[in-house]
Amino acid sequence: MAQSDTISGGNVDTFPLLLLEHARKQGNRIAIREKDLGIWQSWTWAQVGNEVCALAGGLAELGFRRGDSLAIIGDNRPRLYWAITAAQCLGGVPVPMYQDAAASELQYVLQDAGIRFAIVEDQEQVDKLIECRERSPGLEYILYDDARGLRHYSQPFVRSLDAVQDLGCGRIGKQPQFIATEIAQGKPEDVAIMLYTSGTTGKPKGVCITHCALINAARGGCAFDRLGADEEILSYLPMAWVGDNLFSYAQALVAGFTVNCPESGDTVMTDMREIGPTYYFAPPRVFENLLTQVMIRIEDAAAIKRGVFHYFMDVARRCGAEILDGKSVGAGERLLYALGNVLVYGPLRNVLGMSRVRVAYTAGAAIGPDLFRFYRSIGINLKQLYGSTETCAYVCLQQDGHIKLDTVGIPAPGVEVKIADSGEVLVKSSAMFKEYYKRPDATAETMDADGYFHTGDAGFFDQDGQLKIIDRAKDVGKMASGALFAPNYIENKLKFSPNIREAVAFGHGRKMVCAFFNIDIGAVGNWAERRNIPYSGYTDLAQKEEVYALVRECVEKANAELALDPALCDSQVHRFLILHKELDPDDDELTRTRKVRRGFVEEKYAVLIDALYSGKTSQFIETQVKFEDGRSGKISADLRIEEAKTYPSAAAKKAA
Amino acid sequence: MGAGLNGGRTIGDVVLDLQGISLAFGGVQALQEVTFDVREHEIRAIIGPNGAGKSSMLNVINGIYHPQQGTVTFNGVTRHSVNTHKAAVQGIARTFQNIALFKGMSVLDNIMTGRNLRMKSSLLAQALRVGSAEREEMEHREAVERVIDFLEIQAYRRTPVGRLPYGLQKRVDLARALAMEPNLLLLDEPMAGMNVEEKQDMCRFILDVNDQLGTTIVLIEHDMGVVMDISDRVVVLDYGKKIGDGTPAEVRGNQAVIDAYLGISH
Amino acid sequence: MRKNFNMIVLGVALMAGLIAPLVTGASSAGFYTEVLLGGLMAGVLYSLVALGFVLIFKASGVFNFAQGAMVLFAALSVARMAEMMPLWAAILLAVGIMVALAFVVERVVLRPLVNQDPVVLLMATLGVTYFLDGFGQTIWGSDIYEINLGIAKEPVMILGNLFEGGILINKDDVAATVAAALLVILLALFFQKTKTGRALRAVADDHLAAQSIGIPLNRIWVIVWSLAGVVALVAGVVWGAKLGVQFSISQVALKALPVVILGGFTSIPGAIVGGLIIGVGEKMAEVFLAPVMVKAFDLAGGGIENWFAYVLALLFLLVLPQGLFGEKHIDRV
Repeated sequence: MAQSDTISGGNVDTFPLLLLEHARKQGNRIAIREKDLGIWQSWTWAQVGNEVCALAGGLAELGFRRGDSLAIIGDNRPRLYWAITAAQCLGGVPVPMYQDAAASELQYVLQDAGIRFAIVEDQEQVDKLIECRERSPGLEYILYDDARGLRHYSQPFVRSLDAVQDLGCGRIGKQPQFIATEIAQGKPEDVAIMLYTSGTTGKPKGVCITHCALINAARGGCAFDRLGADEEILSYLPMAWVGDNLFSYAQALVAGFTVNCPESGDTVMTDMREIGPTYYFAPPRVFENLLTQVMIRIEDAAAIKRGVFHYFMDVARRCGAEILDGKSVGAGERLLYALGNVLVYGPLRNVLGMSRVRVAYTAGAAIGPDLFRFYRSIGINLKQLYGSTETCAYVCLQQDGHIKLDTVGIPAPGVEVKIADSGEVLVKSSAMFKEYYKRPDATAETMDADGYFHTGDAGFFDQDGQLKIIDRAKDVGKMASGALFAPNYIENKLKFSPNIREAVAFGHGRKMVCAFFNIDIGAVGNWAERRNIPYSGYTDLAQKEEVYALVRECVEKANAELALDPALCDSQVHRFLILHKELDPDDDELTRTRKVRRGFVEEKYAVLIDALYSGKTSQFIETQVKFEDGRSGKISADLRIEEAKTYPSAAAKKAA
Repeated sequence: MGAGLNGGRTIGDVVLDLQGISLAFGGVQALQEVTFDVREHEIRAIIGPNGAGKSSMLNVINGIYHPQQGTVTFNGVTRHSVNTHKAAVQGIARTFQNIALFKGMSVLDNIMTGRNLRMKSSLLAQALRVGSAEREEMEHREAVERVIDFLEIQAYRRTPVGRLPYGLQKRVDLARALAMEPNLLLLDEPMAGMNVEEKQDMCRFILDVNDQLGTTIVLIEHDMGVVMDISDRVVVLDYGKKIGDGTPAEVRGNQAVIDAYLGISH
Repeated sequence: MRKNFNMIVLGVALMAGLIAPLVTGASSAGFYTEVLLGGLMAGVLYSLVALGFVLIFKASGVFNFAQGAMVLFAALSVARMAEMMPLWAAILLAVGIMVALAFVVERVVLRPLVNQDPVVLLMATLGVTYFLDGFGQTIWGSDIYEINLGIAKEPVMILGNLFEGGILINKDDVAATVAAALLVILLALFFQKTKTGRALRAVADDHLAAQSIGIPLNRIWVIVWSLAGVVALVAGVVWGAKLGVQFSISQVALKALPVVILGGFTSIPGAIVGGLIIGVGEKMAEVFLAPVMVKAFDLAGGGIENWFAYVLALLFLLVLPQGLFGEKHIDRV
């Protein structure tokens, strides 16, 4: 492992030591706030130091030992963050879990990690754990933060954190050097935290991350975006997610900035406006929800307001992102944008609580280009990063001024990224997980002998050295020419049109890419009616010449975009057909979550694939289908097969 | 609901005693010789088919209606007729079936009105926000914040109540009553018009209020299932007369009740 | 959409009418400003009377026809008592009289009639009107009396360097405006920041719910009528100082009617803005529109200020039935 080349910060290299240092150097500054009963309560670094010590002392009194695991379950609460540090002080391993997980899911982790102690937020979690304890008696203590509704719980193993901290104070009173001695025994190579990932297959695995790896990721990230002790953040993401751990815990302790815990899940938007964070992190769905809420309010507004909003949003769409990137924009547009900033974008940023945001990141899933551009165009410096639990969410970051919609940026400081022959993204870094807990087989599977972690994602570097993630590595194939074939990427591009419901691309081991389509009967049906094209049903409509022309247009548009990328130029769709029936989960063609079952479709419609590649212009097909009432029947049709225009690659054009 | 509880509250003495209440509007006899009592810390339900006189009963307790006959004894004080204001001073709070919130005000202001009786500062002091008045306002605000926290409506403090969905308005209605820190809480069909999830939430809140604040609760409700789950004792009214009184199990087994209520409503 | 359109048309038409004298060259900028200011000052008085209406309507749903009579009664009391004592003492005593009046009205009129039809209550206030008019004359006499605020009445010239000839402005008008503004600020503070204010708003929204949380309706009525009395007193003193205290003051109430229609029956800002609009509109119509009409239709002239306010209010009523600031509750079921 690459732990030798740590970005060292002296010998302050564990989280408890970082906390002690802040308590000493900036003891009077605010470390954390929580909104409670409508008021922001705050704790200074010195106070947090004392709270953590009391908690650690109490845990030790109850019998928590070096190497023990501590489950932490609940919303973002100061004491739950302190619990992480408290466990680390004693050389234990905190294991945050998702607060909305069912008892059975918690049960698995409790057993897998051999957990004896749990610190939880409230009655809801206590109830779940009491249920778990009936089957996992190894759980010795359930300690809670919020006493509401727990007054009558008389079980001796259910205790309040107040009581535990009292115990701790007693212990420290008798043995003042106790905590300091424990902290001194901690080593940077110790496991600092264990985060469970669901993974795509199989049971969740515990990802063990050392102090040194997490601190390296945090230091690298802070340096990259020049984050200092003056930042304010709002911590509202699940504590069990690596993103929150890096953002609200590791980076906060490294940079010494202030963490703010919202009052409840419902109040995040209000709390955000009150705090005005300077640094912000959210998965794409949060950005999407925020935008939706804003749009609903705009649509409710008076006509004049609405008109002004849409006018200036058009201006922002034209030039906002460019202005943020510092590119050259005409003086007229600049003036309009400045006016829009006063009238629309400024108030909008304020409503979103992002007036002071200097750096915002999104990660965890691909963000829609429109959504991404919206935030950038109103002057919010939203960027993407790429990482996973195993890599401490720290692989690639977008640099200020070098933002592209479809890449995730350049490798972060201290991270080496290379692309395997299969197209898979491999990562070697000083911020790498140590192992999967008790799963050497799984660890060996993802970590090769040279120390590269196999991300399972396929991607490539574009001309500017920015990483572009295109697909899951296991779905990526190779064309006969040796070029990369990323079916999901191609299909997503094709499905961008509202007229196309489903697309299935073929090309692995072939000379060219061909595709099946399902049209969207709603959208295309409407379109046909407006044009007075009569049709009797899906099968009939799908075979209309006009509909083929419509689909061809979409295909050619996608081809033009694919041609721009040298790595994907060979993936342009040459021939296609529109299926005579909609792919259906009842016919096993789709999964219940509506993902195409590629292998099954390929086998079932082999005759159509042969026709696509043999140059025929039509093919007869008859298919057994199940109707909704349970009867089965047959659908048959003569399917047209058409060709689409393809484009020379950008590189080829330059050469010519 | 209440899982894992060992039952901390103990039912105390009679706090509200209604003896031979009769109430008529013109020629319509709304209540006839109804007698029952409510004990401290209990949840007491009044059920009955539509028009059975449930709401009239609640309005008698609350002092909106003045019965022609009978006595109402609350906390040892017997009165023949009392107005709503005096009932409030005695510590009786209520919610309304058709939410009666102050629509022009925010959620916070609505709940603050519940503290009105407890505020002592003079008008002038309040207007000028001098020290003691300011301090008093803060104290009351804190009490209100506890209610807000209790009923989990932190996200809506500044929202005008008219904009809230129905289920939340009902919660604010309850919050305003709780802000009075009442000895007796009257709930007029608290679950009416709610979906299943909202009903569950409301049940939880009612039980929590009863358990954690020790508030005595009288509720009228149409939904039999809910009542049987959360009440300690149930009074059954039909055509203004009491036809049953006892624990939910007893009432369920009472033939008159089955005939009059369960029989016709299902 | 359609409503918005109507509003815009009305707005544009009014604005056009307002600036027409200036752009057509019918008036010099200095004179125009003078007329405008004069209108605003008159508007302040209308606002004060309207404010009394709104206060009572908001808190008790009663349309208090007696507001004008209260203005006259208050002015008479101050004027006559000031002959016997210093002005400040007369005003203080008059405040006491108005509060006592509120107690009497609550006890004698409102309490017995509680839960009666609004029309019955309106008739009752009509009765209060005639009683106050008559009773006032009985004890205070029916001549024209003066209130001397000790502010010189001669006009002052301001902005002499901006307009040719400057603008003439009355000191007592300025004092009246300041007093009115102060009163409005105090009222706003009272409504927003005090528990009694909160209780008043609560009663205005829902009587039953307000009672259930222990707000005593009777006391609230006394407070509201007292407030309306004090507002009437300020209006009466200002008006009386300007024009003399005489019976015609009670007719001012009729001018306040279009103001509340315009501003909305339940809105305090509505009463103020409405009063200003009516004041300015009326003055403008009198000075600029009347001569044009006289010329165009060969009329006898005069009298426009008597009906213009009503026409303006009617126009607004057509477009905005709830008034400029009337409350539109968003109800969800």
